[in-house]
Amino acid sequence: MTLRIRRVKARWGSSLRLRLMFGSVVLAVLFMTALLPLLRSAFLIALEQTVEQRLAADAGALISAARTDDGKLTMPSKLPDEEFDIPDAKLLGFIYDREGNLIWRSRSSRGIAFDYLPQYDGGGNRLLRIYDSKGKDFYLYDVEVDLLRGESAAFSIVTLQPASDTKALYRGFTTQLYLWLGLALLLLLGLLWFGLTWGFRSLRGLRKELDEVESGNRERLSDKHPSELLRLTGSLNRLLDSERQQRERYRHSLDDLAHSLKTPLSVLQGVSEVIAAKPENREQTRILQGQIERMSQQIGYQLQRASLRKSGLIRHRVPLQQVVNNLCDALDKVYRDKQVTVQRQFDPWLEIPMERAALLELLGNLLENAYRLCLGQVRIRASIAQGICELCVEDDGPGVPVDQRERILRRGERLDAQHPGQGIGTAVVKDILESYEGELFVEESELGGAAFRIRI
Amino acid sequence: MKLLVVEDEALLRHHLYTRLGEQGHVVDAVANAEEALYRVDEYHHDLAIIDLGLPDISGLDLIRQLRSQDKTFPILILTARGNWQDKVEGLASGADDYVVKPFQFEELEARLNALLRRSSGFIQSTIAAGPLLLDLNRKQAQIDGTGMNLTAYEYRILEYLMRHQQQVVPKERLIEQLYPDDEERDPNVIEVLVGRLRRKLESTNGFKPIETVRGQGYLFTERCR
Repeated sequence: MTLRIRRVKARWGSSLRLRLMFGSVVLAVLFMTALLPLLRSAFLIALEQTVEQRLAADAGALISAARTDDGKLTMPSKLPDEEFDIPDAKLLGFIYDREGNLIWRSRSSRGIAFDYLPQYDGGGNRLLRIYDSKGKDFYLYDVEVDLLRGESAAFSIVTLQPASDTKALYRGFTTQLYLWLGLALLLLLGLLWFGLTWGFRSLRGLRKELDEVESGNRERLSDKHPSELLRLTGSLNRLLDSERQQRERYRHSLDDLAHSLKTPLSVLQGVSEVIAAKPENREQTRILQGQIERMSQQIGYQLQRASLRKSGLIRHRVPLQQVVNNLCDALDKVYRDKQVTVQRQFDPWLEIPMERAALLELLGNLLENAYRLCLGQVRIRASIAQGICELCVEDDGPGVPVDQRERILRRGERLDAQHPGQGIGTAVVKDILESYEGELFVEESELGGAAFRIRI
Repeated sequence: MKLLVVEDEALLRHHLYTRLGEQGHVVDAVANAEEALYRVDEYHHDLAIIDLGLPDISGLDLIRQLRSQDKTFPILILTARGNWQDKVEGLASGADDYVVKPFQFEELEARLNALLRRSSGFIQSTIAAGPLLLDLNRKQAQIDGTGMNLTAYEYRILEYLMRHQQQVVPKERLIEQLYPDDEERDPNVIEVLVGRLRRKLESTNGFKPIETVRGQGYLFTERCR
């Protein structure tokens, strides 16, 4: 459960669109929650005003029907508003004198008793809510009358109506309010999602272009992005160009350096061989040649190491078959007399997650060892399972003794002094693999010789 | 054998010129691709040693140009970096083998001899023709197991004719095998040398493998293996 929550958290945290969406939902819900009581109270005010107006009109009807005779109030037996005359009707009417004594009540108010004492204090009119003796809720409108048909009078005209009708109206209103606000929220979220999706389309386009750059299918990002992103894409393009140029410059400098260091070493080697012809110089020549060999190894190793670092930005994938074919064509030419048979046991479309130059160097070193030491058979096996690539180069040569397997992975270590070579091949292989976080194992092959197995 | 060496570093070029000359080869040593293209146009070479890091036209481009001109002699490349990108490109563009700098002369010589043997169709380091046996490494000839007393020039002519068995070899080609281009050439010298060689071959058991093809050159008639 905790893991699930963590996953959800990670998902929400990692997506900008989800974050914005989440923020917008929270804001919209908060806004609507704040809006809801305001709308309700506005409706209530409007409702009470309507009730007041209606009760005032009803009070007006009573006032117009009332007569005074020597200060005594008389009401007609039939009122203009029939509702006052119908028992159990919802409109009730009461008239009080100055002292608050009830002097008239409508037929509709029979059976209803409540505790109300009007205050004849010149305050005009007022709307109240009261409860009758049975606990029923009413709106009460009280208006003071000081002049009746031109004669001075002092009465409180009180009209009532049950609050239950307005309560039902209010309930209906709140139900509708919740429904429409809910629908409006859903519509808003839908529009927001659409807007964010549309707005983030340019970011998705940028991501697609970056994927293409990383996979090596595109050299730089295009200019078809919104103005807000152009500065970012411009900077990334400059970074890409600079990295590419730097790598090329670096490679050329290393080529020049190799040429300018190794050619003088070749001259020294030649001179040492000439000097070695004299028996008295043999010892010094041996030392000289040893140092030349050492320098050559150091230069070769460091140059190869420097030139084969993994690129930081671009994720390369190289078809294995193509590299193997190139190398085998080259090695078949060099070891033509040996007539080596190479078994290729891998999917023809298999791609290795490495830069071409690095894979060429790695496989070149392993395959040359295999060609050089085999009796006539070399096997290349490769497969990818669960994101891990395994590559194995085997031969039917003498193999590598168990106690020496660790040693040959060290720089400049050679087990076969009788064979030509720089002796840094496997160390370079190991170095390349380290920069790709891969591993190299030296094992025994079914063919009888060595098996160099790589996991990357 | 007549070899072409293309190396821009003067000292190394001189070293190769001297050491290969000592091994009995006639060496054309040049500093750049342009000069190399001129030499291969003018003379017949048996093998070329080309440095990949040449100025102006690179070693790779030179190899491509040579192959596009149908020059079929073996090419050995010298590479300073020794990376597989260079080796694969070099071999794919038409070279036959590579040596990484700095190299021991013995290694270069071994590879060079292997290429020469291979180009003339021989896998072993000896060539046998009837009773005659030529040891390419020791530069010695034997007839019926007895060593022949050949001069360096006689040996070179014999080796060249045996490598090009069943083919008419013009005198000019043989002269190229004996002298660097800037030395004075005299076709009569070839006739004298071939005459001496024939006498030495015939003296033991009447073995006559070298025929003269009038107006064209010499033919080694015996099948070599």
